Amino acid sequence: MKVSRRHGRLRLRLEPIEVSLLETLLDELTVVLDSDDADDPVVARLYPSAYPDDDAAETDYRSITESGLRSERQERVGQCVAELALGGEIDLGEPDTARRWIQVLNDLRLSLGTRIGIAEDEPEIDPTDPEAQPHLVYYWLTAVQDSVVTGLMR
Amino acid sequence: MDLMAGTLTPQREATEQADADVVADPDRPWITIVWNDPINLMSYVTHVFMTVFGYEKPKAEKLMLDVHHRGRAVVSSGTRERMELDVSTLHGYGLWATLEQPT
Repeated sequence: MKVSRRHGRLRLRLEPIEVSLLETLLDELTVVLDSDDADDPVVARLYPSAYPDDDAAETDYRSITESGLRSERQERVGQCVAELALGGEIDLGEPDTARRWIQVLNDLRLSLGTRIGIAEDEPEIDPTDPEAQPHLVYYWLTAVQDSVVTGLMR
Repeated sequence: MDLMAGTLTPQREATEQADADVVADPDRPWITIVWNDPINLMSYVTHVFMTVFGYEKPKAEKLMLDVHHRGRAVVSSGTRERMELDVSTLHGYGLWATLEQPT
């Protein structure tokens, strides 16, 4: 994974194995985004309460916003999947494209991070431990997102 | 771009004076709060504040650090409708945001 600027345009370059990893993760994300299981902590994290202390206002807020938030998320994932199908070189020169990618990377981190129970102070992990694999994927996503965001703000 | 000092504080002072006569004031401003969470990156949260609110980097970073160290920060204030829009925009970015009307 490498984020660089060429002719002033930010781009993200992914190795073929990273492209297939990302494709698998995005495939899983579309399933999560379709779920309306409110008891699933991942769904709860992606669609947090706006009014945690006011059930009636919360119901109104959700009725107005949730389907839009859901379809926007799916649309963003679909566009990223379509770009990945063209190869591992993503042109982030357009602000809308860059914004979409960091939002999708964030949705992936929120979903995976919630699923594996990421906490404020994470203990060191042993990279040779097979159980640690989701954590390694999470830290890779973190590195990609941080590189893109840092590149955008530079 | 100092929204909090420029618009919130004077409105709050006015509201406090008005509270002596009127108990419920529907025009009292609402606030959007962003809460700390262990997943969203500091760089990302700063970037979102700059993108969504048009804040300059120093202000966006200060708000992000408030979220990180104090657990929460007020990131915008205004009408209830406007704050619902801010909250849903922040939810679209995956930030943990709520709105309330301070008493």
